Amino acid sequence: MAATGRGKQRLGFRTVGRLGLSSLCLMVIAACELHRPYPPDREADLVAKGRDIFFNETFEGNGRTCGTCHRAEDNFAISPAFIATLPPDDPLFVAETNPDLAENFENPLLMREFGLIVENLDGFGDLENTFTLRGVPHTLALRASIDSAQGPRTGWSGDGAPGDGSLKAFATGAVIQHFPKTINRVPGVDFRLPTEEELIALEAFQLSLGRQEDLALPLPLTGIVAARGQEIFLDNTLGKCNACHFNAGANGDPAIFGPDAGNLNFDTGVEALPDQPADLTDELVPPDDGFGTPGDGTFNTPPVVEAADTGPFFHNNSVETIEGAVAFYNGDAFNNSPAGQLLVAATGSGINLDGTQVVAVAAFLRVINALENIRGARQLLTQSLSDKRDAAKDKLTLVLAEIDDAISVLAGGGLHPQAVERLGEARRFTKKARRRFFFRRHPTEAALGELKKARAELVAAPES
Amino acid sequence: MPRGLIATAVLVPLLLGAQAAHGQKSTEQFIPLGQSPGLSATATDIAAISAVDADNRTITLPTAGGRIVKVTERTRIWLDRSKLGQPNVSGAFEDLRVGRQVEVLYEDETRRQTAEWIKVVPQGGE
Repeated sequence: MAATGRGKQRLGFRTVGRLGLSSLCLMVIAACELHRPYPPDREADLVAKGRDIFFNETFEGNGRTCGTCHRAEDNFAISPAFIATLPPDDPLFVAETNPDLAENFENPLLMREFGLIVENLDGFGDLENTFTLRGVPHTLALRASIDSAQGPRTGWSGDGAPGDGSLKAFATGAVIQHFPKTINRVPGVDFRLPTEEELIALEAFQLSLGRQEDLALPLPLTGIVAARGQEIFLDNTLGKCNACHFNAGANGDPAIFGPDAGNLNFDTGVEALPDQPADLTDELVPPDDGFGTPGDGTFNTPPVVEAADTGPFFHNNSVETIEGAVAFYNGDAFNNSPAGQLLVAATGSGINLDGTQVVAVAAFLRVINALENIRGARQLLTQSLSDKRDAAKDKLTLVLAEIDDAISVLAGGGLHPQAVERLGEARRFTKKARRRFFFRRHPTEAALGELKKARAELVAAPES
Repeated sequence: MPRGLIATAVLVPLLLGAQAAHGQKSTEQFIPLGQSPGLSATATDIAAISAVDADNRTITLPTAGGRIVKVTERTRIWLDRSKLGQPNVSGAFEDLRVGRQVEVLYEDETRRQTAEWIKVVPQGGE
């Protein structure tokens, strides 16, 4: 029925009145949110400051920030698939847009095709011929992965930082390598160096990312194949993975390497792999000699909990899939390498897994990666409940990325369809929460509930 | 395979081949004298060269009552031209002259005898 003119007016007043009352309530709620005091937590402030620098500070250089290559929505790394989504004027592509950086700064073809970045690890004397091409390592779980008996190990070969080689000093080297306006790299002209205060904040932020401690294996996994994969991973006569990736982290097994061995460098023969994707092009791809100048051929051990959703794999992005990365250890490149030969000497044989065993280990890696995605997503969801809207929206966007990763790594291995269903529901509720200006709590809690159910599909362990 | 056996077989050669994680030095070239994070003024000496012995390839710094610093083939020497607005470049022993300001990092921080790298400010770059 059509409303009369007066009726429309009355309806209008009523609507306005209701809206006014609702708005008042909402404003009060918003005011409560706005005036909630932040905890006087210096570490949290430092992390927040570091986050701001990481994503926004260009250090008066070519426009890049740390977040240009270490994308929060791509697990603080950057893959070719992600690169393909970026606009042409993204600062990642400065070699294509800044004539001063057109030569000897990046190789745009290899960057776009394989996610490779130029690094002048053996010096800047011959930029045309002396360089390496490396993928972007993620910066997750650094707190649990960079300490070693010889000092901190940063970057792919463990020697990624100038100065004292620490994570704090790392940003200084990154600015010099990746941020300059010209390849002259004059401080104060082509960039400015980070201040001590900025370095401290950047370090705090990076250490806050991802897992803060290693897993304690074995986990009571519910999936038969993943559980078998875990057994193979832990078996020092079969998979032999746990010796160097203790508890699926980045550190050596203390029973083998000593209690404080921490992160270790090995020459695993990745450089000897035949048919590496970048080598199949006509581009110049010099060999990467790893740690030191000149290098000794070794690279540090990355954590594998984060592996399944951070491919391509190895320092040169030479293997695309997690199954391929596991299978690498079956091949001649590894078994004839110094690390492979060390293993032969220690155990009487190299690594020789069959196809089903490769897939089982990969299934295990997929499941622990999905569990980590779920953990991260739940943490962010919980934090978002006490955030103001913009901050909450940012966190919920990252939650969606985590959930998408979990879905992708499980579905990609044909694993746990029920968990994938639950994750899909969690995604739906998270999107709902992200759309809302107010009353985010209900869909956020629903998403948390779905994630809890998804986790229960993967592992029978009680939550810590 | 018992863990002890693996430990012995793996650990011994690994430790024999172990070396210090001494940090990527290539970007160090572009860090001006005195600004190396975590090193400058703690692990390094910063001073003007008081003597040069070309025959023995040593320089003397007035720190610690006259420290003699060995410069070897491994020692990297960089000219710090940042104050001139020019790129820092590799230098040679001949660039180490009396009166020039240098920063020295040692191969062994405790003994402070042999230089791992030296940054030197050239004429006019002070």
